[in-house]
Amino acid sequence: MSEIDRMRRHMDAELRKPGEHPDRSTRITRRTFLHKTFLTGTAVGAGSAAFGWLPLVNTIDMAFGATAQPFKFAWISDTHLYPKSVNTRFVDKAVRAFKEVQAMDPPADFLIFGGDLAQLGDPVELELGNQLLKEVKIKKVFIPGEHDWYLDMGKTWNKLFGQSPWRFDHKGVRIIGLDTVGSAPDYWSAKKMSPKERMDHMSVLDGTVAGAWSGLGNKQLQWLNDALADWPKGSPVIIFSHTPLYEYYPPWNFWVRDWREVHEIVRPYTSVTNIHGHVHQVLYNEIGTMRSIGMLATSWPWPYAPTGVPALTKPMVRVDPGDPFDGVGWGSLSFGAAERIENDYMMWRQDVLAESQVDSGTGDNVNQILSPRIADGMWPY
Amino acid sequence: MRLHGKRYVVLGAGAFLLIVGGLAANFGAFAHKAKHSPATLKAFDEVFMEQVRIGDLLFHGDPAMQEEFGVTLSKTGMACAMCHPMSADIHPHEFPKFQEQMNEFATLRDMTNWCIEKPNEGEKIDPNGGAMKALEAYMYWSNRGSKLDPGRH
Ligand SMILES: [Fe+2]
Ligand SMILES: [Fe+2]
Repeated sequence: MSEIDRMRRHMDAELRKPGEHPDRSTRITRRTFLHKTFLTGTAVGAGSAAFGWLPLVNTIDMAFGATAQPFKFAWISDTHLYPKSVNTRFVDKAVRAFKEVQAMDPPADFLIFGGDLAQLGDPVELELGNQLLKEVKIKKVFIPGEHDWYLDMGKTWNKLFGQSPWRFDHKGVRIIGLDTVGSAPDYWSAKKMSPKERMDHMSVLDGTVAGAWSGLGNKQLQWLNDALADWPKGSPVIIFSHTPLYEYYPPWNFWVRDWREVHEIVRPYTSVTNIHGHVHQVLYNEIGTMRSIGMLATSWPWPYAPTGVPALTKPMVRVDPGDPFDGVGWGSLSFGAAERIENDYMMWRQDVLAESQVDSGTGDNVNQILSPRIADGMWPY
Repeated sequence: MRLHGKRYVVLGAGAFLLIVGGLAANFGAFAHKAKHSPATLKAFDEVFMEQVRIGDLLFHGDPAMQEEFGVTLSKTGMACAMCHPMSADIHPHEFPKFQEQMNEFATLRDMTNWCIEKPNEGEKIDPNGGAMKALEAYMYWSNRGSKLDPGRH
């Protein structure tokens, strides 16, 4: 049995106890419709296809805890900005998402920026993002991604966007923002890497040199435990994290390494929703009492991992590589009066969700023997 | 390009000597090749894996390797691996096939060049050149075990 299979079985045995799931009344429906906010049109980027400027919205409705008042917030992440001199394609898409969030009517209560603002952690990139984000005038909260961090170990990020983790209570919901990127085991000192080399290794999704870099670390696990201690067990909790709080596909670092501990901490709470970025794709999962929703990137989509796509995920359509506005977008989440969360994937394409494997790519390459990068083993350190 | 051409030749020559060495005495009388020794097979494998390693670096956008081959695989900052981690969603075993984006019947090399030119906004490479062969080696190696299924979409 492979290491991944072993971990998956362990996760299922430990965390999918019979009858245990988030919100006993959870109900998921999906519908696709034109969002009236955008019928007037917003930014139209170069290369957007026929449907590119009319986002068709996909909604996931879920019943939710009884104590929350209705509200709405927006999620944007994974803009991966390069300096404008290298590439304005990602800038165009980030600007478009920021404009669309600002155009939301009624306005969102806040925007959560979920990390990977920059591509190579360059202060020029982070400052560019900071400038572009000024387009959004509503309250903004931030959690970092690994691409924001490993050039200067979060110095510029923290200066511009504040430290994580953080928490606040909003209309009956405890909202928590985690830092799942800043506590990588030291892979650079022994190899005497320059900051740029350290960042380069971190930025390669299928690289092996940076190891299992995503995690909360002991200090933050303790913090999370304390941050929930006084919260009623049946009241809703939303946890924002850059990386998913379960193990989806460790070879691409689609996980946090201490997910078992996270689940131990949130287990007593019956209504926990984790919203994460990093995977650049539509994902939905339930483990124990926590549901996880994976959000779109604005920059580019990742394909689904060869194994481990949660059975509860309704996958998105495989992207057209010729259209930079395909397979990307942002998210709007609202607590309805009927005690539901509505999650709208604001994807700039005609059909968001795939009906068959030929369109989602989730059934691809069942026989493929996957290998870590051969070049990593020969890296000259 | 020069450097890797040379490396290839050196390794190739080594393998060649190993094969024909045993036949030298009656060379000309028989065209049959010699049996493969473990050392021969290892030499062949080393030639292949060196191409995989070079392909891996190109696929991940390594600037030094692109310079050696004189190729510009991207001008957007994107590398192949940024949409295709571990070569995912490439399906080299499904080529040749009708390729939707190109609206034509295409080989893996055709599609590779399309990706370089269109989404990456780079410069098309010689379809029979060293960089293409190395990229192809990496993509096939990353998909070994896959069942040949030409034409599949
Ligand atoms: Fe990202
Ligand atoms: Fe990330």
